[in-house]
Order: sequence, then structure tokens, then C-alpha cells
Amino acid sequence: MKKLLMVVTLAILTVSLLVAAGAKESKGDDSLEKVLAKGVFVMGLDDSFPPMGFRDENNEIVGFDIDLAKEVTKRLGVTLKVQPIDWNAKEQELNTGNIDCIWNGFTITPQRQAVINFSEPYVDNAQVAVVRKNSRYQTLADLAGQSIGLQAGSSAADAVNNNKKFAASVKEVIEVKDNLTALMDLEIGGVQAVVLDLFVAVDNITRSGKDFRILDEHLASEEYGVGFRKNDQALRDEVQRVLLAMAQDGTLAKISTTWFGEDITVVGK
Amino acid sequence: MLEGTYTSLKIFFLTLLFSLPLGLLVARGRMSKYRVVSSLVNGYIMIMRGTPLILQLIFVYFAPYYIFGTSTDRFTAVIIAFVINYAAYFAEIYRGGIQSIAQGQIEASSVLGFSKVHTFTHIVMPQVVKTIMPSMGNEVITLVKDTALAQTIGVAELFRVAQNAAAREFSTTPIFIAGLFYFIMNGVVSKSFDLIEKKLDYYK
Repeated sequence: MKKLLMVVTLAILTVSLLVAAGAKESKGDDSLEKVLAKGVFVMGLDDSFPPMGFRDENNEIVGFDIDLAKEVTKRLGVTLKVQPIDWNAKEQELNTGNIDCIWNGFTITPQRQAVINFSEPYVDNAQVAVVRKNSRYQTLADLAGQSIGLQAGSSAADAVNNNKKFAASVKEVIEVKDNLTALMDLEIGGVQAVVLDLFVAVDNITRSGKDFRILDEHLASEEYGVGFRKNDQALRDEVQRVLLAMAQDGTLAKISTTWFGEDITVVGK
Repeated sequence: MLEGTYTSLKIFFLTLLFSLPLGLLVARGRMSKYRVVSSLVNGYIMIMRGTPLILQLIFVYFAPYYIFGTSTDRFTAVIIAFVINYAAYFAEIYRGGIQSIAQGQIEASSVLGFSKVHTFTHIVMPQVVKTIMPSMGNEVITLVKDTALAQTIGVAELFRVAQNAAAREFSTTPIFIAGLFYFIMNGVVSKSFDLIEKKLDYYK
């Protein structure tokens, strides 16, 4: 019995080593050809991230980023597959090849750049704190000793961690699955502020009509980019080229205006 | 990850502490000869077993605000949700055990002049505890794994902490370490149940 177990273990080890070695050998960058051959471009996103990507009344995933990706894939001649993922597992999803890119208000941070191949920034964003309208908080310093909420694995978490003074001043950081839960938590008083992306905050406040306001003082300013696997340079460059073409012929500005009422894109500017 | 482990263990032990006795009470209520009591308790058990625990967590935490305008602390909400959920499951296990005792024994003890309470605590329960141990073990093992649901309402238990570490280090290792913890914890649980069962096996 023991011998058999040993043989099986050895066999599994050998196979996995061989597979790992095989994966390393094929280092040539065929990322673009692969997508074109498949005819499908899979974008990974958090489908509860309005207005970048979210479910409408018919349960269809819509949003600013979806419209951009649709236009890009149309110009590439492939179909777009929108794949909702757990935002906290996005790196694993990308690295295991379940998705071709992360495209969903994806903030470019130095930590992420170490493992992800980003496009050029296409939108300027900021991390802001949302509080209840009737609360006394006016600046980030006012939030000292309070609980703040944010989405786990989001760039808001990075922004708070990077702002050492602010992170040390607050009582605790409550991490939940998505921004909507964090904002519900704010409404019932479970947290005193929620840190999230500026556009998401503005969109949520205008559409939900809840009594929230955004502090004037920002935690961090940042940029959105499309994230690809480190090795997928060809695919990244092609998407970047198409985005630039879309900026030049005014398509980007048009899509931006339908979602935000103004052109917030920064491609080629 | 130690702090997350501590939180998970706290959820585990606090849930057991409250739901084990509450479950017995619920089981008695379910078997009550008063219709009103038994159907109310039955309704409660049906709701607890018929809806997802993750939904019950969200309900316990968020609903009080919309109904009464106040809200509970999130950790308390987790404990309440787990206790009322697990009490329902434990109650059904207790009931199965209690009903497996032959009616003749209860009649006999009444003939011998034992009070109802004495019959229950000294004649029925010792036998019930023995018979329900395997099903209890099952449920307690599930509880260990269910503690991972507490993150739904923002409690940083082991699995949330592991996921955060995985996102920070861009590696799945922390998640596997968390998996190892749950595995070890359940190893301890099943070993303990084995020991208890052996100890209770005094007639063989």
C-alpha cells in the first residue's frame, strides 16, 4: 500500500514538473494571434462596479468600459466575451488564462505594475471618501478614530495603505465584497466613511439619491488602464493602438459623453 | 493571518456555546403538545433551513436599520445569524435522538415515581447524546467551514485575510495555507468526536 502511494505521488510530481517546464518553453508572444484565431476576447470585470461595468434591469452587463471594449473588439474583428470575476481573485483569473485582460476601472498602481502589463492610462481618476450628508466630517483628518469601509482588493485599499498617516489615524478598515455593500454599511452607520473611486462615487450618489456627500480632500489621484498578462505584449500593443485610433476619430469622446456628460478620457492627450 | 484565525475560532466557539443549548430548547418547542408553540417553532426551523446562511447574515446585519433605525455591531450580527441558523439544525438532530427513545422507558420511569424533569435529564438525555454524536460531528465540521461566510458583512475572518494576502502578494499560497488550517481544525473536531463517542460507549 505504501509503495503504491509512493509511486502515485512520484508520478504526479513528474507530470506536474513536465507541464511546468513545457509552459516555460513556449515563451514566444502569440497572445494577439491566439485571440484573433479564437475570435473571442475575454474581458474580466467586477459586474457590480457602475458606471464602468454593471448589470442593467435586464441583467445584461453594461457600462462605460463595456462600450469601450465592444468598440475595440469590433475593430479587431473578434467578439467580446464579458466575464464577471471575483475582484479579489482577479490576478489568479488573469494568470490562469481564464480571461485575456482586466478591464473595469482598473487602477494603475506600482504594486500591480510589477505583475501586470498595463495599457497607457485612458481615464484620470481619484480615490475619495464618501460620508453621510449630515455627518460632521469635512476633511480626512476628521475621520481619525472612525471605521471606514472599502472593497477588498480594490485600489482604495492600496490608497489607504499607502497613505500611512490616514491609515494609522482611523480605527479600523472594514473590507467587503463590493462597493455597494460598503455604501449600504455607510447608510446604516456601520462605518463612518467609504473610500472608493471618484466616478463610482459620483454615479452612485446621483443614481441612488442617497444622502451622501464626497469629501473635497482626495486620498490619491490615479489613472485607469487595461491590464494584460506580463507576456502578452502584442495583444496589449494592439488594443492600445485601437484605443488611440478611437481617440483620434472622436469615438472615445462620444462614448464618454454618453456615460459622464463630458469627455473624461486621456488617451493620446 | 493569525488574527484572522483567531476571529474564525471565536465565531466557531461562540456559535457552539449558544446554539447547542438553544437547539435543545427549540427541539422541545418543536415537540410541544401546544399547537401554537410547535407550529411557530416549526416555521422558524423551516426558514432557517430553507434560506442560505449568507442571506441570513446580510438580513441580521442590515435589516434592523431599515425596520427599527438602529444597527448592531457586525461581529454580534455574525454570531446571532450563526447561532439561530445552527440552533435550527441542532434542534432537528436533538429531536431525532429524543424520539428514538422508546415510549415504554418514559412510562416505566413514571411508574417508578421519577419526575418528568428527572426522567428527561437522567434517562432520556444520556441515551440521546450517545445516538446523536455522529450527526453532531457532521454539523460541527460544517460550522468550521461556514465561518468563512462572515466576511460577507465585513468581518475579517481567516479566509478574507488569506484572500487579501493573496491579492497583495499576487500568489495563491495564502489561500492554500488557509485551506490547511480548516483541514487541521476539522481534524481536531473529528478526533474529539471520536474520543467522545468512545468514552460514551460504556455498555460495550
